[in-house]
Amino acid sequence: MSAGPLLELQGVAKRYATGRTAVEALRGIDLRVDRGEFVALMGPSGSGKTTLLEILGCLSLPSEGRYSLAGRPVEEIPADGLAKLRGEEIGFVFQSFNLLPRLSALENAELPLVYRRVGRGERRERARAALERVGLGGRERHLPGELSGGERQRVAIARALINRPRLILADEPTGNLDTTTGGEIMALLAGLHAEGNTVVVVTHDARVAERADRRLTIRDGRIAEDRSTH
Amino acid sequence: MGLLDVLRQALRTLAAHRSRSILTLFGVVWGTASVIFLMSWGEGVALMIDRGLMKTGKDMGQVWPGRVSEEFTPAADRRWLWFTDADIDFLRRRARLPELLGAEWWEWLTAARGPRSINADVRGVDPEVLAIRGVPVAAGRSITEADLAHRRRVALLGEKARQRLLAPGEGVGTRIRLGGQPFEVVGLLAHVGTQLSRDRAEIDEMIWIPITTAQTHFPAWWTDEPVVNRVLYRMRDRSLRVETETEVRALLAERLRVGATDEEAIGIFSSVEMLEEIQVDRIVGVLFIIAVTTLLVGGIGVATMMLDAIHQRRREIGLRLAVGARRRDILLQILLESLGITALGGVLGIGFGVAACAGLARLHVEDLIPLPVLRPGIVATAVVVLVFVGTTAGLLPASRATRVAPAEVLRNE
Ligand SMILES: Nc1ncnc2c1ncn2[C@@H]1O[C@H](COP(=O)(O)OP(=O)(O)OP(=O)(O)O)[C@@H](O)[C@H]1O
Ligand SMILES: [Mg+2]
Repeated sequence: MSAGPLLELQGVAKRYATGRTAVEALRGIDLRVDRGEFVALMGPSGSGKTTLLEILGCLSLPSEGRYSLAGRPVEEIPADGLAKLRGEEIGFVFQSFNLLPRLSALENAELPLVYRRVGRGERRERARAALERVGLGGRERHLPGELSGGERQRVAIARALINRPRLILADEPTGNLDTTTGGEIMALLAGLHAEGNTVVVVTHDARVAERADRRLTIRDGRIAEDRSTH
Repeated sequence: MGLLDVLRQALRTLAAHRSRSILTLFGVVWGTASVIFLMSWGEGVALMIDRGLMKTGKDMGQVWPGRVSEEFTPAADRRWLWFTDADIDFLRRRARLPELLGAEWWEWLTAARGPRSINADVRGVDPEVLAIRGVPVAAGRSITEADLAHRRRVALLGEKARQRLLAPGEGVGTRIRLGGQPFEVVGLLAHVGTQLSRDRAEIDEMIWIPITTAQTHFPAWWTDEPVVNRVLYRMRDRSLRVETETEVRALLAERLRVGATDEEAIGIFSSVEMLEEIQVDRIVGVLFIIAVTTLLVGGIGVATMMLDAIHQRRREIGLRLAVGARRRDILLQILLESLGITALGGVLGIGFGVAACAGLARLHVEDLIPLPVLRPGIVATAVVVLVFVGTTAGLLPASRATRVAPAEVLRNE
């Protein structure tokens, strides 16, 4: 994997139209993230962190500006291509887990493989390995409702890494968890980074951010600070 | 997504909206059962009318003599007409379109057996008439050419005539009197039932004797010739009804020296014509429309339930999109779920419809109450309509599902 920009943003803005007024969630973001970086994204509530992460994860498109992923301008990629990107190149971890409540841990973890037309047997095999990896061996058949918050987030991480994506995006993955559990989750993400993946984590917690080698602070939709710690 | 996953999800959607599912499924079940039942019933009505009309004789035409119409002669000079054996012989030699031709003599006579006496509809017939009428002989024998040649005094009794005239246990071999003359019962006719014929004459009430016997023993008072009251024929081809009538009328008109198109002089009636007039297809068509509408209403139930389910599953759909589902994967999933729900109701509905038809068909009822007649084509039609309804019902929910914006629905609640 060659070093070079994995993500590149130029003048990215995002506007939400709510009734009569429009909210400027992002106002001109210029950012470059290289392959293999571990980035923490910080900033006050409402500053636009989630909005930025959604754009990075191709879950929404910028209102203005350019965003290139692995050298390809995202706005030029057709809808099916974006779906493929989301499924194969990007692993997204949500603050609220977003597990499907009626599917078991195993079925939740294997979901991205379903849309890559991977056979059932291989799906099971890889999902089991992914759950093992996040320390949930033996919990395959549990429903999300039967798991603790930390365990749910591990399932979500297993789901995010099952396709071995190059980019892992996590939006306050420890926000709903206690400190110890949060630490374990961060250790998992750090481990993924150590394997060469690019990781971007949104967090409010300075101690969490310390694990990253680059800290971005965003205020009012603009990047206010960009510090490398290593 | 495997087909099993889709079916499982369809069941989950149903389970998640329990009371609504029951109503929705009921709508589809009811609609499907209606399609099966009403269409089968329409088939039954058609068959009943056809059979009822054909009971007097399959594809039969009846010809009777009348009066010369005013169009062809001065009013004062309108003569009454009658057929004789010679006319029938002429017709037999010349007519091409009838497959069979028979002569019938007709009179109301007193029939007596011992002290019992009834007023009976007596027909003098030849074997051709019996063949055209197609009434099976239940006991004894039919009227033969030999009976005609020897002018035998033998009689066939219709079922009701037998019941009214003979004592229980009496049958073939019984001696009766017709118009004062002794006759021997040589055959009993099978039960025919109500006919839809125009003259309302019931075969079951008739007594049949050889036409030559009738002509000899009960001669006409106005002529010495052997009179024939009616000509019966079976057309070669149902679709040639008009042509056959035209030919028969023209030939008889030539013999009787009347206008070749004088419908008053030579009256012809075919039950096929009634069948054409009743327009059975329309009855069946109306029933089909009613049934399909019922099923469409069931489809609307499926659509609204699916719409509601889509709204509740926004987050799930958003997540599927986030992990790599294409819009068309979602579209297909929702369409298949809609089809799955429809199929579930459809299978139940087909079951109920078929059971209802089978149950009713087993009942023994009067001739003129139509029973459903189930044909494989009807079930196939129901399946086609179900697939259409299921797909249509899924279209709106599916297109709404593909419009879910993942970023919006996956936010923290
Ligand atoms: N769908 C939306 N419609 C309208 N406004 C929105 C929408 N989503 C976000 N916003 C607004 O955009 C701004 C940035 O929101 P965002 O969720 O990105 O903030 P955040 O930095 O993630 O905040 P937090 O730390 O609370 O999660 C906020 O002012 C928010 O109200
Ligand atoms: Mg946020």
